[in-house]
Amino acid sequence: MTTYNNSGYLNPAYHDYETLEIDRRTSSKSHHANPYPREAPAWLGVRAPQSPTAQPGGDDASGGRWQEERQGTDESIPLGFISTQPQNPPWQHNLNHTTFQIDPDAHDRSAASQISSSMSANMTLRWRGVSARRLSLFPTGDPSHLFPEDVIRNELDNEEQDLVKELIGLSTVDRIQAVRALPMSVREKKHVRSQVLAFKSSKQSQQRGCCADCSESVSWTFRRFGSGLKAAGQALELWQGTMKEISGRFGTSVLTYFVFLKWLLMFNVLSFLINFGFITVPLLVYDPSPNIPPNVSFRGLEILTGVGYFNYTVMYYGGHSNETFAGQVTYNMQLAYFLTIAIYMVLCGLALIVSMAGSFRSNYVVADPSSDSAWQLLCSWDFNMTNERAVRQRKNNLRVQLKESLSENAQRKLLTLSEELSRLCVHLASWFLSTILALGCGASVYYLCLYEAQMLAADAASWSLLEEAKTLLVPFVVSLINLCVPLFYSLFNKFDHYSSHRRQIYALVVRNVFLKMFILGVLCYYWMDVVAQNVSCWESVVGQALYRLVIVDFLFLMLGSFFGEFLSNVIGTRMLPRIGVPEFDVARNVLELIYAQTLAWIGIYFAPLLPVLQIFKLFLLFYLKKISLTHNCQPPQRTGRAAQMQTIFTALLFFPFFVGALSIVAYTSWSLTPSENCGPFRGLNNSFGAVAVWIHTLEDISGSQWVIWIYQKIIKSPIFYFIVTLIILMFIYVFWQVTLGRKELIALLRKQIVKEGKDKMFLLEKLHSLQTSHPNATNKQANQQQRIGQFSDRRSPGSQSNSSALVQALLARQQFEGDLSGGVPVPADISTSSGLIQAMLAYQRAEDLNEDLYRMPDGRLSSFAPLPPPTRPRDEDRGTAGGPGDPVHAPGALEQAMQARQRAEGADDLSSSAVMMQVIQARQQEERLQWTPGPPHNPAPSGSSALIQAMLARQQAQNEFDDGY
Amino acid sequence: MGGNTSQLSKENVSEYQELTFLTKQEILLAYKRFSELYEDRRSSLDPRTSRIPLQKMTELPELRSNPFKHRICRVFSTSEVKDGSLSFEDFLDLLSAFSDSATLEIKSHYAFCIFDDDNDGTLNRKDLEKLINHLTSESEDTKLTRNEMEQLINNILEESDIDKDGTVNLSEFQHVISRSPDFVSSFKIVL
Repeated sequence: MTTYNNSGYLNPAYHDYETLEIDRRTSSKSHHANPYPREAPAWLGVRAPQSPTAQPGGDDASGGRWQEERQGTDESIPLGFISTQPQNPPWQHNLNHTTFQIDPDAHDRSAASQISSSMSANMTLRWRGVSARRLSLFPTGDPSHLFPEDVIRNELDNEEQDLVKELIGLSTVDRIQAVRALPMSVREKKHVRSQVLAFKSSKQSQQRGCCADCSESVSWTFRRFGSGLKAAGQALELWQGTMKEISGRFGTSVLTYFVFLKWLLMFNVLSFLINFGFITVPLLVYDPSPNIPPNVSFRGLEILTGVGYFNYTVMYYGGHSNETFAGQVTYNMQLAYFLTIAIYMVLCGLALIVSMAGSFRSNYVVADPSSDSAWQLLCSWDFNMTNERAVRQRKNNLRVQLKESLSENAQRKLLTLSEELSRLCVHLASWFLSTILALGCGASVYYLCLYEAQMLAADAASWSLLEEAKTLLVPFVVSLINLCVPLFYSLFNKFDHYSSHRRQIYALVVRNVFLKMFILGVLCYYWMDVVAQNVSCWESVVGQALYRLVIVDFLFLMLGSFFGEFLSNVIGTRMLPRIGVPEFDVARNVLELIYAQTLAWIGIYFAPLLPVLQIFKLFLLFYLKKISLTHNCQPPQRTGRAAQMQTIFTALLFFPFFVGALSIVAYTSWSLTPSENCGPFRGLNNSFGAVAVWIHTLEDISGSQWVIWIYQKIIKSPIFYFIVTLIILMFIYVFWQVTLGRKELIALLRKQIVKEGKDKMFLLEKLHSLQTSHPNATNKQANQQQRIGQFSDRRSPGSQSNSSALVQALLARQQFEGDLSGGVPVPADISTSSGLIQAMLAYQRAEDLNEDLYRMPDGRLSSFAPLPPPTRPRDEDRGTAGGPGDPVHAPGALEQAMQARQRAEGADDLSSSAVMMQVIQARQQEERLQWTPGPPHNPAPSGSSALIQAMLARQQAQNEFDDGY
Repeated sequence: MGGNTSQLSKENVSEYQELTFLTKQEILLAYKRFSELYEDRRSSLDPRTSRIPLQKMTELPELRSNPFKHRICRVFSTSEVKDGSLSFEDFLDLLSAFSDSATLEIKSHYAFCIFDDDNDGTLNRKDLEKLINHLTSESEDTKLTRNEMEQLINNILEESDIDKDGTVNLSEFQHVISRSPDFVSSFKIVL
């Protein structure tokens, strides 16, 4: 481990990319903190003699345990890992691990200080670092000539060790998540996991207690249970195959519609379960037969109109009693009705807010504000697509879109003022027209409703079939408007060009939303204002109206999708091929769904069983749309932004529609007087009165004072709501400020990255020009590379020590060459030549030594033993080189290098780390030699150290940037 | 062609469950599909070593029409000879990365590997050109022109190359991905 420890250490790429990142996270590897090779011998010199002694005595039991563990797991590591040091006896492994290992306590501390949720991100960051680091420095060409495979692999092993240590510090659940999130193959993950588990079990065997055992098994059971639940949920998931088929043929954006539909279906199932369970079932249990008047019979038309027979069933508000059922348990119907509706609405609101907020967070806020950029198009390629033809079509569409994005970019700059003006005029005109249209529709619906009101005044029980059918007029007109007017809007959009496709869709959506809001608003006004004042048992009448609207809307949806899409398909394929096969208009279809759902929400108070209808409707609609889609439609031309559209739809569903429905229901139950003769709230001033009555009855019961207190002081007190509102506003303000701050931070960090990137480019260019400015140097380099290749061919791939030494020699030489070309002034030429000699010597020495190493079959006593001697000549050299322009220093250095070489050749037991240290020294000496003649004359070495520093700075900045994200 | 799933031991399944983002059913289904493709009658199917060659693998209906099918196989293959053949574990890896519950981090990592055609760790101009060609070109006449391609690549680099080194590295790519929310839902292959 010493060897690859050091090789990683001396590898410049290692410093540039990884050291800081690691050191900032774990305090344990402080000896890595100083990346300057110049000072490296110092710590090795100091530390090396210590480590053998520190290992047996210094570390306590925990350290020793870790070692044993390490040794144990080393055997399970794949061959490549061990083969890196074939000559090392096992105990040396131990030694090396101690030098490199961390104190488990310290590690625990550092791990605990990290937020566990960010762990996986950190880890992947690091793993990302491995691959990126390898290459980020060498954009041109293959880096392997500088860093042979072995070196890289050893660094990877190093990474793995760190990773295992990090994982050990995590809790079981976090660890499983973290392992899952590692970008590695299953085999590698297995390996990492086995290492972690082995350590854990060894640790546990020492401190195994009943409690730990128990908690472990409990958490295991829970995990099992969780995954079982997940699997069951997946198995139960509705329409899985169909969804897959749709996304395979039409892509994700069309799938959005079906996902949305399914989601709404879930809402309605929930609503049905709640309403049925808490309102209908008790009612049916206590009063199974509906009290239908004798002259009312089922005529068939009721299915469409909802009047007559249904009027007396539990379908509507009017069919519910206001009694308190007293059986084995008393059941207050009033309270049940009120609370069920209220709780359902609250649940709906919460679910909507949660899903909307989550979807905003993940899809909208982070998204690029710039519209259809090329990357966005490329990244949103559907890997779901399995249909050959669809893929081809998709490719074509993508090509068109890419071309458009190019031309859009070009066009944006060429828009003149007059064009701008005319475009603005068109916008204004189309907005004006569409608003007028929506208002007109609303007005016409209102007058039609007033006409209907006259009819309602008569007794519904005595209606003839024709009169009953007349009630269908309003829903018919409303649905017709909903079907036709959006088509007009689409027509407007043909003339009204927006700068981006997205805006065009938004404009269309906003207009449709306005239309639907106007119509619903008018209808609600009519119900609340006209019907509620004039009709007895008006809640049931409103319920019937909603029933009709839902039914007729469904019929129109069926007709619309069948005839609309079917006919335009026929026209497109047979008669006017110019039009082509219609596309599935996701936005329009989703708005239709939203509208239908709003009706169901409003109706929940007036007709508690309306969700049943809605469930049937959505269920049928799914198959209908699927058939229509597969037979009549083609995949949409413009794709992308599916996730954002879904967010918008969810938000729309929440904001005008759900909030509108909620406020209508709330208004009804708080402000309107319930009808006198029917329904659960008869005789009360408003529905909320049911709660007041209940509280009143509680006053007699002791022990329920707190309920009364809550009711008096919280629910009925405006001050409470006032304070809550103030607090919420305060929070909003604070978060808003935080967001602003984050935005600024992001902008700053972005600038910083750009700056660092420029630095990096500058340095790379410099490096590159140094490399290429000497053609003979490159020749030599190539030659040497060849030799490296030979070496590595000859030897086992695991023998990384020699090759890393070679790399160092190469680097030293290159640096020297760089200095040579860096405009070295006259007095330096002696020193440069000596530097050259030294570098060559270092290289040769390394080579010789490597061969020695290779021949050596047995292990050496200690890898650090020969280290102290080299420090001596270095100091010496420093002394001699001190004088500026001293001509003696060059031969001195030469001599020294020769000595070093001889020493290297002589010393059989010199380990590879020592070689590397010497190489470093050679390199540093050479650097210093260059430097001493006079810093102002010779900028190159200072430049090189500046290079290292700049790279470090960049690294740090990048880390910060990553953390920031 | 042992289509029975009993060959996959319970321990194996739970281990795979822990190591991948897949559920038990998905793993069993994957095993079933894998053993259907596995043709080598001489030896029984071993999840670690038995490999399905790239050609055979790309016949899987979920991959067949995918423009990146070869790249995907190569990226997930752990084969020593680098022929892009997949063992069952590699196959699980693939499905895990493309599954619903995989994190954005994982998905973008593998997407990057798939797009990085020459495996050099960055998306350079050549990689980008290949990527665009994969996604657009059908025939010679509908191909993007040289000029358009240049412009497009310039746009892409301008948009994503934050440090201006002429290539897109992994962190820059992940930055791009984090800003295109459609990626998660579209980077998905379900058996």
